[in-house]
Amino acid sequence: MKILSKSRNELLLLAMKDDTASKGDYLLIEDRSRNMIVQVYDEEYLSSQALVEDIVKEEVVNASSVENLHDPLNIGSLSRLVRDARIFRAKIRASVKDGELSSDITWLPSRVESKIRRLAMKELDSFVGRRGIFPIPLGRTGDGEEFEIYAEDMDGKLTIITGKKESGKSHLSKILVKTLVQHGAFVVVFDLNNEYSGLGWNSDGTPSSLHRHVKVLEPGKTLMFSLDYCGKGAISGMLKNALDMPAASLREFFRIWDWLENKKSLSIDAIGNAVNTWNINELVRDALVSRYHVMQSSRLFADSGLQFEDVISAGSGGAALVINMGELSPTVRRMVVELVLSKVVDLLERQVIPPIFLFAEEAHLYIRDTYWEDIITRMRHFGIYTTFITNQPDAISDAIYRQVDNIFLFNFTNDGDLDKISKVSLADNDTVRSIVRTLPQRHCLAIGKAVYDLPVVIRVATAEVLMLGETKKFFKK
Amino acid sequence: MATQLNPLFNASLSLGDLGIVESVSKCIEPKLDELRGKRIVFSCDDKKMIPIDGWGMRSSPHSTTTVTTIRPIKENALVAAIDSSSVKLAETEEGSLYGTKCGIATACAGRALMHFRIGPVLFYLSESSIHDSELEERLARLVLLDDDFANRLIRVRTERAVQKELASHFTNSIILVDGSLKASVFEDRERGIGKIAESCVLRKNMLIGISKGTNLKVLNRAAAPLTKVPVPAYIEVDLIIRSLIRNTVGSNSMVKLEKSSTVLRADIVGDRSKSLGMLLGNDPVAAGYPETLRLAHHISTFTSTEITCLRSHVLNSYGVTELAADDIRRTLLGSISV
Repeated sequence: MKILSKSRNELLLLAMKDDTASKGDYLLIEDRSRNMIVQVYDEEYLSSQALVEDIVKEEVVNASSVENLHDPLNIGSLSRLVRDARIFRAKIRASVKDGELSSDITWLPSRVESKIRRLAMKELDSFVGRRGIFPIPLGRTGDGEEFEIYAEDMDGKLTIITGKKESGKSHLSKILVKTLVQHGAFVVVFDLNNEYSGLGWNSDGTPSSLHRHVKVLEPGKTLMFSLDYCGKGAISGMLKNALDMPAASLREFFRIWDWLENKKSLSIDAIGNAVNTWNINELVRDALVSRYHVMQSSRLFADSGLQFEDVISAGSGGAALVINMGELSPTVRRMVVELVLSKVVDLLERQVIPPIFLFAEEAHLYIRDTYWEDIITRMRHFGIYTTFITNQPDAISDAIYRQVDNIFLFNFTNDGDLDKISKVSLADNDTVRSIVRTLPQRHCLAIGKAVYDLPVVIRVATAEVLMLGETKKFFKK
Repeated sequence: MATQLNPLFNASLSLGDLGIVESVSKCIEPKLDELRGKRIVFSCDDKKMIPIDGWGMRSSPHSTTTVTTIRPIKENALVAAIDSSSVKLAETEEGSLYGTKCGIATACAGRALMHFRIGPVLFYLSESSIHDSELEERLARLVLLDDDFANRLIRVRTERAVQKELASHFTNSIILVDGSLKASVFEDRERGIGKIAESCVLRKNMLIGISKGTNLKVLNRAAAPLTKVPVPAYIEVDLIIRSLIRNTVGSNSMVKLEKSSTVLRADIVGDRSKSLGMLLGNDPVAAGYPETLRLAHHISTFTSTEITCLRSHVLNSYGVTELAADDIRRTLLGSISV
């Protein structure tokens, strides 16, 4: 490989047939005592008008009659080499001097003297100083080297996993959840497709190593709360944000709540009776009755119910609380999320539970944008570290993207999605557009703090756990 | 008496005072009055431009006006067309390096059969190699001094070598040559056009040399009647050619191979009507030109990639050292980009 030219922070490298590099691969340009680290983001043919004309001419000639060649100097093979020559477009990422990584990329490597070679991920890690205590093996790089991030890089961070449908987002998300739990972390998953319950089982049907650490919560069945446990704060948030209750009705509701609490008879049935008999404006009563019926039909409230602190203290060594929301109506979904988040924040504020990791699949379907922004801004201070998984990058607001620490980008071919993601991602536009467009299934581009801002293409490993959530089909193969 | 001027002390020099204008206008008689009313075709670089409908019906006094139509003869015969090209690749203090390519395209019964691509082959022309070429001494020196001569030497010798072999191996075939059948000063004694024609006659081959353009304007005038004939046809022009050129072989004609196509000069060794009829019967003709000859041209031309590869081959294989070089005209004259 040889350097052809440089434009801004981009080098064009000439590669012959035997020079191989894939999109996303890192190359080291060694020039005497200094080295430059570049990343290949695109590959194209060495093309000129003359070369194209040659190829067309040869094809036309060979199509019209059979060729018999006498080429004593074997110039034809050289000519074929030239036609197969490629140009690698590579972004300059950093330089290395005396073994130390530097951001000084103001110098130009020699076109004549420089030697270019593939940079192994281990070498790159040693330059960057990327190490940690709690590894999360994600898969392999383009070279086939094993690649891992560290749980510390997700701790206190906001992560986004995005890509088009069936590109492998949930797969990666499950690997992250599984490994975090194995490292002793507590993870809450808002599972929209009821697919994370498979974490407790191996693909052969036997219980997985996480079996006892995965608690699947079915709203209305295994996920119910007592009104006492929820508290006024959580119920208020639920009524306001999930059920859009007006302020006047909310005031009446909590007058009833206080009255029942003083009588020590706070229950969902007691609220129902009080709403019907309470001396209030009929319009307010109608509002309260309609909300009461939604609460009752959701079956989320009972005299006794789940207590997060109990689950967490029981699961010493990590736990995954998978909240199945696949079969819930949108309103109940919003209620569940509101109650869970409010309660968890309450417990974190009181330091009853340790910080938790929250995995939210298609979060825009159950919480408003503005509410998520609030969650992202405030909750990282309480100790909720969120990972969004979505196939609609435009469903996440720019305000959230501005705070993101890690992005795992799977394949996108739609220009609108690529536009959005390339504008807000932590890597340069060219890299994102070129690499993401051609990523195969289960390959992702990792960007952000987990990879020390050096984008890496990863082939996500096959998970040993049971993968659920596949589309139910009428026509079976 | 010429005015004595001292340019150092006279700032108002004029061309008139120097007599340059008068001198230039009289160096050749302009005769522009003769241009008036003429039909013209503007020249374009070095390309040979011809009027689409010919120069008109004004016939040459030397030409016969007998137009003979050509009927395709559906009798299978192999058509083999030969073309070559050469380029100067490099120069040393003592000589120059040339590359050559040769193409042979074959057809039969109106269909292309196969083609042979020969080369690129390298020739280094220096005093010693020219000495071995049996060229006459003055011509040899010219070849060393002038690239055009050198290129012609290489092309003529390559083509003749191929033509000779084809003529000696084929029977009842048509050998198509790009250009006229005229003996060249660059020919090898053993592979001259005369010898090739002789081999053709002995083996019952037909040898046809087709020229795309001719500098002999009288031939264009002689061929004028062909433009009005709606079928393939030819006119004999032996008398004109022989009165102007020596050393040609075979009979000379102006031919039109397709309705409304360009008129070409064809030199033929063999029966004129039969040769042209067999050619039309066996070689597909497109835009008035034999496909085999067109294909031979395309496969024998150098592409810029091949030239790059040849340079690389020379650098890698012959232990030569490349010197930095510059375009001397550009350096001295500069360039004004517009």
